[in-house]
Amino acid sequence: MSQLLVDRKQIEEFLIDEAAYLDEGKFSEWLDLFTEDSFYWIPSNQDDIDPNTHVSIIYDDKNRLEERVWRLQSGLAYGQEPKSRTRHLVTNVKVLHCEEDKVIVTSNFILVELRRSIQTIYSGRLEHHLKQTDTTWKIASKKVELINNNEFLGNLSFLF
Amino acid sequence: MINSENITQYIKDTAVHGDIYTDEEIFKQEMTSIFEKTWVYVGHESEIANSGDYKTTVIGTHPLIVTRDSDTDEVHVVFNRCRHRAATVCQQEKGNANYFRCAYHGWTYSNNGDLTGMPFQDGYGEEFDRCKMGLIKVPRVGIYQGFIFASLSEEGPTLEEHLGNARPYIDYVVNTCPEGISLNAGAHKYRFDGNWKLQVENTIDPYHLSVTHRSFFNLMSKKTGKKINFSKMHKNEKIRDLGNGHSLYELDGDLGIGALPFNLIVFPNLGFLGSQVRVTWPVSVNKTNVFLYPIMLKGASVEENAARLRKHEGFYGPAGFGTVDDLEVGFDRVMEGLNAKGKDGEWLEISRGLEREEVDEKGIITATSSDEVSARALYKAWKKLMTADDSNVETRGKKHEPTVGRP
Ligand code: FES
Ligand SMILES: [Fe+2]
Repeated sequence: MSQLLVDRKQIEEFLIDEAAYLDEGKFSEWLDLFTEDSFYWIPSNQDDIDPNTHVSIIYDDKNRLEERVWRLQSGLAYGQEPKSRTRHLVTNVKVLHCEEDKVIVTSNFILVELRRSIQTIYSGRLEHHLKQTDTTWKIASKKVELINNNEFLGNLSFLF
Repeated sequence: MINSENITQYIKDTAVHGDIYTDEEIFKQEMTSIFEKTWVYVGHESEIANSGDYKTTVIGTHPLIVTRDSDTDEVHVVFNRCRHRAATVCQQEKGNANYFRCAYHGWTYSNNGDLTGMPFQDGYGEEFDRCKMGLIKVPRVGIYQGFIFASLSEEGPTLEEHLGNARPYIDYVVNTCPEGISLNAGAHKYRFDGNWKLQVENTIDPYHLSVTHRSFFNLMSKKTGKKINFSKMHKNEKIRDLGNGHSLYELDGDLGIGALPFNLIVFPNLGFLGSQVRVTWPVSVNKTNVFLYPIMLKGASVEENAARLRKHEGFYGPAGFGTVDDLEVGFDRVMEGLNAKGKDGEWLEISRGLEREEVDEKGIITATSSDEVSARALYKAWKKLMTADDSNVETRGKKHEPTVGRP
């Protein structure tokens, strides 16, 4: 096993902070965590697909992710009226790969969402590619492997 | 008690009664009088491209298997129900298999449905005819331009007759690309707690675009610097009632939603819009499953098809910028509102533009795109089928008044 150059604890903290932004509705702050060439990806039907030949539930580059957040904050995104309340639980954090300034970290998550008086549980595996900048970590990509990505899904207008 | 006489009370030329979205009896009759009578889309040839390929699907509430014969390449549509004790014989969404072996007692069927074997051959009497114990085939299968349809009714119009004036538009979809199209890029799958007709109506309802989807179009203007003039757009665009419940919305230019220049509803539950094939599955009176299959161009570059996928995902699917607002406003809020049943307040309007309809020599009815031509087309076919025959109600052992014929 290669010598870990980063402290797992530190990466875990980062994931916890990211989740807190989402749960507290601080979407602009969340968006700022992403690098300019980042991706936010939720595959459809199965975990491992080629997004160029297979449809995704979400395959946002930074530009579309900004649009997603802009829309959520526009006051006209009816899919979030009423808004979802969410709690993200991030666990089983594991640093898969580590270079000077790059880390691939996987984790399991449970996301409890409440909307229209209906509480829904989502779960799956996250894969974050993180990049270290001068002062902090940034998300180069975030992949959300939902365990129910091949089931009939409901309104997923909130953020994972 | 719903029968052919009183069902007409739910449909007027200008409005439909709210109960058609909430009444379980009406839902049951839709399954028998519509889904078991007319042609229903069950899959595209590209989904079962190779010998032995299969996919599972449903018509109404009947589970089915669509297979490509390993020997003849013929397409079969059979009921997914073992002839022994009814267990489904195929569990996968899709795959490739020469045989389906029932995991209960081991009866085995070839992928054309024939019963080929069972454990312990003894024990059945002479009258037991193995040849007659294959998986039951649906009475009729038809393929139009690669789109596979099945009918649970032995009689009725041919597939070509049923598709009628919708055919040239299906041809258009297929001819988007010289090498043809393929539905091989997976699917968006979503469900909502509402009646299936809400999704079908919503497939052609340009009237709601500038309201429900304002955030999307604001975003488009922000990007392009151009604002869509919806009032002008609706005057230029047409909706056409193509007959048999099918309807067409002709777009006036690119809305940023997809590649097709029209939305097409093929009655009862197939749609073409954006860059997708949309299939609506009624599950129960207030539960609906929806598939969106992005249409891929055969022989096109990976980049071109990827761009189609990105555009599709931008508006459609369980996290698309458009679909989520339809789920909330068009379905959840409508289902909630339907519970308010004030006197004279139980009707849903479909009258818009009735006065400005034009009819051409083929009988195609046209009005502008904010008009409810499409909903009227849907409910004409709905009413015709729902009042055509009560025999299904009878075979289910219910009492009913004799049919007096169509009103
Ligand atoms: S139910 Fe299929 S073999 Fe018995
Ligand atoms: Fe819509």
